[in-house]
Amino acid sequence: MTTNVQGIDFSKLSLRDALDLAILVEEEAKERYEELAEQLEQHRTPEAAKFFRFMVENEAKHRADLAERRRVLYGREPSTVTRDMIFDIEAPEYDEARAFMSLRQALEVALRAEQKAHAFFVGAMPSASDPAVRALFDSLRLDEIEHQNLVQAQLDKLPPDPVAKPEDYGDEPVSQ
Amino acid sequence: MTTNPLLVAKDFKSDLKPIWCPGCGDFGVVQAIYRALAGVGRPPHEIAFVSGIGCSSRIPGYTTAYGFNSVHGRSLPIAQGIKMANPDLLVLCAGGDGDGFSIGGGHVAHAVRRNPDITYIVMDNQIYGLTKGQLSPTSPCGLKTVTSTYGSFEQPVNPLLYLLSYGAGFVAQATPADMAGMASVIEEAIRYPGFSFVNIQSPCVTYGQETQQVKAHRSQMKSLASVGHDPANRMGAFELASHYGEELYTGVFYRNPTPPPTYDALFRGRQAELATKVPRDRILDMFVQR
Ligand SMILES: Cc1ncc(C[n+]2csc(CCOP(=O)(O)OP(=O)(O)O)c2C)c(N)n1
Ligand code: SF4
Repeated sequence: MTTNVQGIDFSKLSLRDALDLAILVEEEAKERYEELAEQLEQHRTPEAAKFFRFMVENEAKHRADLAERRRVLYGREPSTVTRDMIFDIEAPEYDEARAFMSLRQALEVALRAEQKAHAFFVGAMPSASDPAVRALFDSLRLDEIEHQNLVQAQLDKLPPDPVAKPEDYGDEPVSQ
Repeated sequence: MTTNPLLVAKDFKSDLKPIWCPGCGDFGVVQAIYRALAGVGRPPHEIAFVSGIGCSSRIPGYTTAYGFNSVHGRSLPIAQGIKMANPDLLVLCAGGDGDGFSIGGGHVAHAVRRNPDITYIVMDNQIYGLTKGQLSPTSPCGLKTVTSTYGSFEQPVNPLLYLLSYGAGFVAQATPADMAGMASVIEEAIRYPGFSFVNIQSPCVTYGQETQQVKAHRSQMKSLASVGHDPANRMGAFELASHYGEELYTGVFYRNPTPPPTYDALFRGRQAELATKVPRDRILDMFVQR
C-alpha cells in the first residue's frame, strides 16, 4: 500500500474507522493550509495566502460534514485511527509553498493536493474488504474529482502569470 | 523518567510560528521530530533539545521540549553537559551542516568517542542558509556561491563516513521526500542506547541547488532496505556511505547490534562506586596531591 499511512490495515477497516480516517485526512489538510497561509502572510504573499485561507474553510467544512455523519452513525464510540498514522494524504506538502508564489501557483498546489487525495482513495479501495468502506472511499474519490473541477474552473478564469518571475527582481545575495 | 503512550505529535508542537522560507525542508523535519517524540512517548518536560546557530538551529523553539538555541557550532558540548548533569533527560541535538561540520566539526569526534546517549540530527542542505548562501563543508566540489564565484575547489565532507569512522553506534539518513521514513528513522535513533546520528538531506529552497530539492530527492532516493543492506554490517555501511553526494540512500546505515555502555551510564557507575569509598565532604581530596 501507500507509504503515507502507517499502521492501518485496510482489509480490517470498519466503516467507523474509515470515516475517522477520512475526518483526519480533512483535518490534516485544513491545518496544513492554515500553516501555508501563515507562512505566506509572513512572507508578504497576500493573494496566495488568502486563497489558502479559503481552502482552510473548505477543508473544515468537509471535515464537519464527515464528523456529523460519524456522529449520527456511531455517536461517541472511540476511534482507533489516529493522526500519527497518516502523512500528507490531502495536505499539500511543505515543499509546495514558495515566497511570492502567484495565485495561479497556489491554485495549482490545491489542484495537486486534490489529485493526490483522489489517488489515495483509488489506491485504498481494492484493499478494503468491507463493502461499506469501499463505497465510502468511492464517494470520497468522487468528491475529490468535484473539488478538482472547482479549482480547475478558478484556474481557467485567471490571466496567465507574468513572464518575469519573482526571483528576477530579487537582489543577489552578498558575502557576509 | 516516564513514558506516556497517549502523547501525540501535536503535544510536541509549540505556539511559536516557524520563520523559515516557505518550502524549506526543515518544516518536514520538525514534523518528523514531533512524530518520533510521540512514538517514544517521553513527555516534553523530560526532553532537552539543543541547537547551534543557523536556520535549522531554530528547530528547538518549535517544539515544547526545553530548548537551547545556543552558540554556532557548540550544540554538542552543551548537549553533553546537559546529559551529564541530568542523565534522565532525553537529549536531542540539532543543527545545520555548517554548524556541525565547519565550526563545530571538531566536537563531533569527541561526542562520538564518549558515546553519551544523545541523538544528533543534522539538517544537511549543503549551504549556509541563514547567512544567505555561502559555501558549506558539504557543498559539492565546483559549486558556485557568493563565496566561490567561479566554483569551489574543495571536496565535500562526507558526514556519514565521518560519523561511522569515529565509531558512532547508529548512523542513518533521511529526506523530507519520505516523511514516514524520516519519522521512523528519527524514532529509531532516539531509541538507540548511545550516540546516534541522523543526516537529513533537508533542502534549502532559497539558496540550495536544483538537484537537492524534495522533488529531485523523490526520484533519486533509494532505501537501504531495498538494496538488501543489513544495518548490523558496519563494513557494508562504509561502502554505501562512501556514495554520499552520488546516491541518496535512506534508512539505517549502521546500528551496533551490541551497544557498548554509554558515557552517562559509566559516569553514574563511577559516581556510585566512589560514593561508597569517599564521604561527600571529602570528595575534593581525590584531586589533591598529598
Ligand atoms: C561564531 C560564529 N561564526 C559565524 C556565525 C555566522 N553564521 C551564522 S549561521 C552560519 C552558518 C549557517 O549554516 P548551517 O549551519 O549549515 O545552517 P543553515 O542555516 O543552512 O540551516 C554562520 C556562518 C555566527 N553566528 N557565529
Ligand atoms: S534560507 Fe534556506 S535553510 Fe534557511 S529557511 Fe530559507 S530555505 Fe530554509
